[in-house]
Amino acid sequence: MKRIFATAVLLMAATGSLLFAQDVGRILKELDRLGDFSGQDFAAVYTIVSQKPGEKDSVTQVRMFRRDTKKQFAMLITLPEVNKGQGYLREDDNVWFYDPTSRKFSFSSIKENIQNSEAKNSDLTKRSYTDDYTVTSTKEGTVGKIPVWIIDLKARTNDVSYERVVLYVRKDRTMLLKQEDYSVSSRLMRTTLYPKYVELDARLMPSQILIIDELNPGERSQLTMTEQSLAGLPDKVFTKAFLEQVNK
Amino acid sequence: MNTIANIAFRNLSRQKKRTILLGSAIAFGVMIVTLINGFAGAFSSNVAENFSNLMAGHIFISGSEKGPNDKDISVIRDDSELTAAVKASGAPVRYITRRSAFSGTLIFEGKKIRTNIDGAELEKETFLRDRLLLKAGTWEAASDPRSLILSEKIAAKLNVGIGDRILVQMQTVTGQNNVGEFTLQGISYDTGIFGQMMSYANLPYVNELLGLAPGEYQTMGVMLDGLKHVESSATAIYGKLSGSVQLFERGVKDANGVETPFQALLSQQKKESWVGVKYRLVTINEQLSQIKQIVAALDLAAAIILVVLFVIIMVGITNTFRMVMYERIGEIGTMRALGLQRGRVRSMFLYEAVFLALGGAVAGIVLALIAMGIISLFNFGMNSPAFLIMKNGHMSFYLPPLRAIGNIMIIALLTLIAVAGPAGKAAKLTPAEALRTTN
Repeated sequence: MKRIFATAVLLMAATGSLLFAQDVGRILKELDRLGDFSGQDFAAVYTIVSQKPGEKDSVTQVRMFRRDTKKQFAMLITLPEVNKGQGYLREDDNVWFYDPTSRKFSFSSIKENIQNSEAKNSDLTKRSYTDDYTVTSTKEGTVGKIPVWIIDLKARTNDVSYERVVLYVRKDRTMLLKQEDYSVSSRLMRTTLYPKYVELDARLMPSQILIIDELNPGERSQLTMTEQSLAGLPDKVFTKAFLEQVNK
Repeated sequence: MNTIANIAFRNLSRQKKRTILLGSAIAFGVMIVTLINGFAGAFSSNVAENFSNLMAGHIFISGSEKGPNDKDISVIRDDSELTAAVKASGAPVRYITRRSAFSGTLIFEGKKIRTNIDGAELEKETFLRDRLLLKAGTWEAASDPRSLILSEKIAAKLNVGIGDRILVQMQTVTGQNNVGEFTLQGISYDTGIFGQMMSYANLPYVNELLGLAPGEYQTMGVMLDGLKHVESSATAIYGKLSGSVQLFERGVKDANGVETPFQALLSQQKKESWVGVKYRLVTINEQLSQIKQIVAALDLAAAIILVVLFVIIMVGITNTFRMVMYERIGEIGTMRALGLQRGRVRSMFLYEAVFLALGGAVAGIVLALIAMGIISLFNFGMNSPAFLIMKNGHMSFYLPPLRAIGNIMIIALLTLIAVAGPAGKAAKLTPAEALRTTN
């Protein structure tokens, strides 16, 4: 009798974990879908307010243009005044930074921070948890009082900024509430909170993002997304000439 | 001709005070210029030698591998071919160093500073202990795998002391974010602007943070018996390597000549594609080729100073010789009346000028050599801010003999030009007119 009971428990656990593994895969795919605008163009304005201890808050504003189908983006800095006109351009896996003072493009990276903030270029672009990470563990938990799945991910490739990422996804609907980014040495480097969302073409998009630097206490950046649009963009937006022209 | 030269020499010794004053002016100018030339002469070799010590090598071999997305990864996975080539080259090798390095942000209690951290075999690299003098902490403690040695300025900026734990935020060779934790075990004296930027840690831990396997590293440094062996040894090692490993071309220059050979090599690397590890060999001279521009600027400054000083001195010499001509007008008349030709009167004045210039220039060079000797006796210590331009804490000079000879020639020429006017005037005097004139 005991054997039958133990086997039944094991079977249930195995079935449960199999089902759950399928669920996690579905959750990650859904998260990828929410941030993927393939087949459409996406534009928005991000206002980044950065706080550093002993320093005045700095405000950076960027206008982002994305064409995920072609792995392209153009990012134009509109604030602060001193950096106005600077921009980033992505074409496939190459990222360039444009400086209007020297009128030169230099190689940059998707892993680079935007200006002096905690936000990285990759935070505002398309990402794929499914392609870049594998699930190492999953458990249940809460963020505040909201029940969440806590999904622990390990990088599949070296292309991502963080080797390990822990996602806190709402159970009742696929909505990322919190993300923890860890270094290769497994130290927590960054916590990102997603307190507000907006719906855009049946997709939930975070309209407010709070990035906390865990290595430098007191350093944080708040990103607010406005003027989001899925209207088509002219091809010239994703060219070097565009970044040069807007500065003329 | 000898008689004229003798008279010219006698004339100079007749007016000792005036001759000494004029000679001193020339000597002073020559001394200043010689000192600058001497400083410039030793500058490049001192900087190169000190950089060699800081970077632990005269010749550097580094490996590059194409990573994901065609990005370069700096790594030497297996150095057996490299060490064999160095051995077979017959280069006078003092020692070989193996290093990895990264640029990262040190974080301690809310304070941050960006610095380069060199991963070195701290226990094996005993020569580093001779070069890097510790103000606090001990080299014995540096055997701690996570030990860190910072310069005193960086330590002061971070407000850290021995035993403090410091975080470092950096990226692996493939560009992923990583965080390390070091324990400060040594604070070194500052050795100038470049010394401040150098921090040292143990190679295995730096490799771990960079994502390299144990036994791998990024740069092999070959320290030779001296700078003079660099080019021949580099050619020999490159020759031995070329048959056994993939190598980047040496000594490439861009079309505009704007880049240094080292920068051109890196540009070349970006354009090429290969499989496996490809090596590049650079010498300290190639890395510091911009130092040559500083030396050229110093030499140009010395030449300008030489000209400016001598324009001033020439005006003095011209005026003095004009006065001399009027003083000796009766004497010139007598000599002319006794049959001395015009040309020989001119020669007499020009001889005086040459003797004056040679005497002044030689005295100037001797004074400069004495000054160099005295200055080089002072030991400014290895912790001097000007450490990089010194030789073992002492100012050092090297005066290329040809430059000294060139300076003497320029001075003799300028003095001759200065005296040419009064000499011509003296030569043009008719005996009767000269004898009639009274001072």
